[in-house]
Amino acid sequence: MNCKDWEERIALYVGGDAAPAEATEVERHVSECAGCQVFASGMKQSMGLLREEHEEPLDEAHYAAVRARVIAEIRTERAPWRRRAWLCGLVAGAVAALVLVSVRQAPKKRVEIARVAAPQASGAAVVPAPNANPGVDRGPGGPTHIRARRPMQRRQPAETVLVKLETDNPDVVIYWIAERKGDGMND
Amino acid sequence: MAAAVERPDDRVRTAGAAKAGDLAAFETLMRQHERMVLVTALRLLGNIEDAKDASQEVFLKLHRNLGKVEAASNFSGWLYRVTVNVCHDMRRKSKASVAVEDMPEPASAEDDPHQSAAGAERRRVLQLSLRLLSEKERAALVLRDLEGLSTGEVARVLGSTEATVRSQISKARVKVREFVERYFRRRV
Repeated sequence: MNCKDWEERIALYVGGDAAPAEATEVERHVSECAGCQVFASGMKQSMGLLREEHEEPLDEAHYAAVRARVIAEIRTERAPWRRRAWLCGLVAGAVAALVLVSVRQAPKKRVEIARVAAPQASGAAVVPAPNANPGVDRGPGGPTHIRARRPMQRRQPAETVLVKLETDNPDVVIYWIAERKGDGMND
Repeated sequence: MAAAVERPDDRVRTAGAAKAGDLAAFETLMRQHERMVLVTALRLLGNIEDAKDASQEVFLKLHRNLGKVEAASNFSGWLYRVTVNVCHDMRRKSKASVAVEDMPEPASAEDDPHQSAAGAERRRVLQLSLRLLSEKERAALVLRDLEGLSTGEVARVLGSTEATVRSQISKARVKVREFVERYFRRRV
C-alpha cells in the first residue's frame, strides 16, 4: 500500500475517529514509516492550530448586536396584532353603540316611502308618499312593515329604480337601488 | 453535545416562559447558545456580518418554533441543524466569496505585537484552509473538529451517515494539513 493511501486513515486515527481495528493497523504502519510519522505529526499540529484559533472568544458587541436585532424583530412581529386588536375593539364598540341607539329609537320611528325611477345621471327626485299609502303598514307602537309597491308607469327592460326611505330623523336616510327586469323587481 | 452545556430542566423552563411571551426568558435562551450559533455561522460563511445575519435568522426560527423545540431532547442538535441550513441558504443566495479581511478581531487582542501578529496569522490560516473545502466537508470539519461533536452527532445534524461524515472529515483534514504546511513553508 502506497503511503498516500494511508493519509486519510491517519487523519481519522489522529482525530480519534478510527475504529479500534483500523487504529491498530495505522499505529503499526506509522511506527514503521518515517514519512507517515511526519504526516501524522503535521496533522496533529494543523488540527491543534485550527482548534486554538476557533476557541478565541469573539467581541461581546457582536453577540449584543444579534440579540438586539432579534428582540427588535420579535417586537415588530408582535406589533401589528396589537394594533389590529385595538382597531377591532374600537370598531366593535362603535357598532355596539350604533345598535343600542337604533334599538332605542326604533318604536318612535315613522317611515315614509317614496319611489321614483332614477334618472340616468342626475340625483333622485323624491316624491313623498301619501299618508294613506297602502304599501306601508304602521301598527300602533308595533314594528313598522314596509312593502314595496309597483310604480304605475310603463317599465323599460333593466330599468334602475332608486328607492329613498326617509325617517323622522333628518340624519337617517336610506337609499335602495334596485334593478327591474321584465315584470319582476330584482334587487 | 460538547459545545453547549445543557441543563434540560432549566432550558425547558426558560423555553416555556419564552413561549408564553416572556422576552427576557428568550434573551436568556439566546445568551446560552449565542456563541455556538454565531461562531459556527462565522466558520461556515467566513465573515462576521453574514454570520450575524445568519444568527439572527436562526434565533428568529427558534422563537417561531419554541413549541416544537421546547420538548426536543437534543436542543443543541436542533440549533446546529438550523444554523447549517440557514448558512447553506445564505451561501446559495449570495454566492459571495469568503472575505478573509472581514474576520473579526478576537475579544482579547494581545498587547504584544508579536503575539498579535501570530494571532492574526492563525486566523488567516483557519479561514483560508476552510475556504479550500467543499461546503459539506467544511460543515463536517467545523462541527467535528472545531465544535467537538461526535461523528454520530455530526451525521444527525447534517442528515447523513456516519460513514459519509468520516469520509468527509478525513478528506477535509488532509486538505487542511497540506494547506497549513504549504502556508508556513512559504512564510519561512
